[in-house]
Amino acid sequence: MKEKEAEYVNREGKRLDGRKVNELRAIKIEVGVIPSAAGSCYLEWGYNKVIAAVQGPREVLPRHMADPYKAIIRYTYRMATFSVSERKNPKPGKRDIEISMVSAKALEKAAFLEKFPNTAIDVFVQVLDSNAGTRIAALTAASVAMADAGIPMKDLVSGTAVGRAGGKLMIDLTKEEEDAPDAVDAALAILPNSEEIVLLQMDGIISPKEWREALKMGIEGSKKVYEFQKEALKKKYSGDK
Amino acid sequence: MDKAIEVKSMHAVHAGKEAEKEEEFNAESSQSELNEKEKKIVVPGELLTDKKKRLGEHVYLREGKIFSDSLGFVSESEAFISVVPLQGVYTPRAGDVVVGIISDEKHNGYLVDINSFYANFILKSSRGPVLKLNAVVSAKVFKVSELNEADLGQVRQFYGGEILRVSPVKVPRIIGKNNSMLEVLRNGTNSNIMVGRNGYVWIKDGNAALAVKAIKKIEMEAHLSNLTNRINDFLIENKEVNK
Repeated sequence: MKEKEAEYVNREGKRLDGRKVNELRAIKIEVGVIPSAAGSCYLEWGYNKVIAAVQGPREVLPRHMADPYKAIIRYTYRMATFSVSERKNPKPGKRDIEISMVSAKALEKAAFLEKFPNTAIDVFVQVLDSNAGTRIAALTAASVAMADAGIPMKDLVSGTAVGRAGGKLMIDLTKEEEDAPDAVDAALAILPNSEEIVLLQMDGIISPKEWREALKMGIEGSKKVYEFQKEALKKKYSGDK
Repeated sequence: MDKAIEVKSMHAVHAGKEAEKEEEFNAESSQSELNEKEKKIVVPGELLTDKKKRLGEHVYLREGKIFSDSLGFVSESEAFISVVPLQGVYTPRAGDVVVGIISDEKHNGYLVDINSFYANFILKSSRGPVLKLNAVVSAKVFKVSELNEADLGQVRQFYGGEILRVSPVKVPRIIGKNNSMLEVLRNGTNSNIMVGRNGYVWIKDGNAALAVKAIKKIEMEAHLSNLTNRINDFLIENKEVNK
């Protein structure tokens, strides 16, 4: 008995949630939501809800972790217990620690860390609600929060997921699309001006030809995300008079 | 009473030095204030120009083009370009006058919190009277190491009053062009006000509550124009209310 293959993109080129293959979910970014932090950002990306706060640059404790040539970034990615359908154990797992590490490396590429030797920049990101693509949502929010904190940066970090579901390439996959039998899901983050890739993690198997096309779509999508980030940062300081 | 007089004369000394320092800032910002409508906010990584210009602060060069590295306003002239940031931490510079709080005492000196990355050290031998924990002092930054550690000198103590913490990047606005804003604040509230470049503001006597409100207002509206006049009106309006 052969099960009917699910259709992820219909004949009109629309996906399950009505988007086109190169369309992002709705993004809303708010800057400066936590007054006690140096910089902060709240981000909604589809059903993903993420809050990010930046502290520092400040003294590194314990002292032996300090780097006398540059600032270190300590990135804390955590998911709230209620962010997934089954309760998430609040103990930081392998996944949280790995995402924290790769995201910190991505932000290190973006910031001018040598301006603050011997200090630490602490980035805290909490995922309040999740539906695929939280690491990129978290990283996007974190880079906006860092800009809000006034940390000199080469560029913001923007990104999106790219992948394949039901044989079609697409960007910004939802949980449903990620669970497709032939799914390929790659988290991609770039510095939008130089198109430098700062984060890339992939699940699944994809041919080089397909990948080149997917990457192109991903970079285009990331640049759309960048526009949202830019707009949110500027909005904080325009308007009220 | 003696103390108050001493403090007032201190203001004169510090005010003179700050005026010198601020001139540089004002020279850059004055022309951006003139054409207020063209005041442009930029985000990190935004392209400013592809012309060749002298690089000021918070800009960087990549592939012959000039980009911003901070969230701030563009300050641009024929041959010069810089970005005035809207947020940021205080990095000590030689010549700055800062207000600090004594946070710890060691056997040969004091640790003083100047709102920078780490607590700075004052040698006991470099000054006479004993400082107590949480005493408010002003100091001049003589030298800054490559790790942004400040060498402090000319330490003076302030008695009484209160400390207000503001964002260090807003300090030039609180002082104003040729001390204009500080004069408005002092005349409007009759308070002793000492502004440290690091974002700590010491306020004593007079209508201190009003002074705090006015400074918070300056901080909120620092990026808007015609601020001095608006603060002047604000102080006159609220003169009686907060007494």
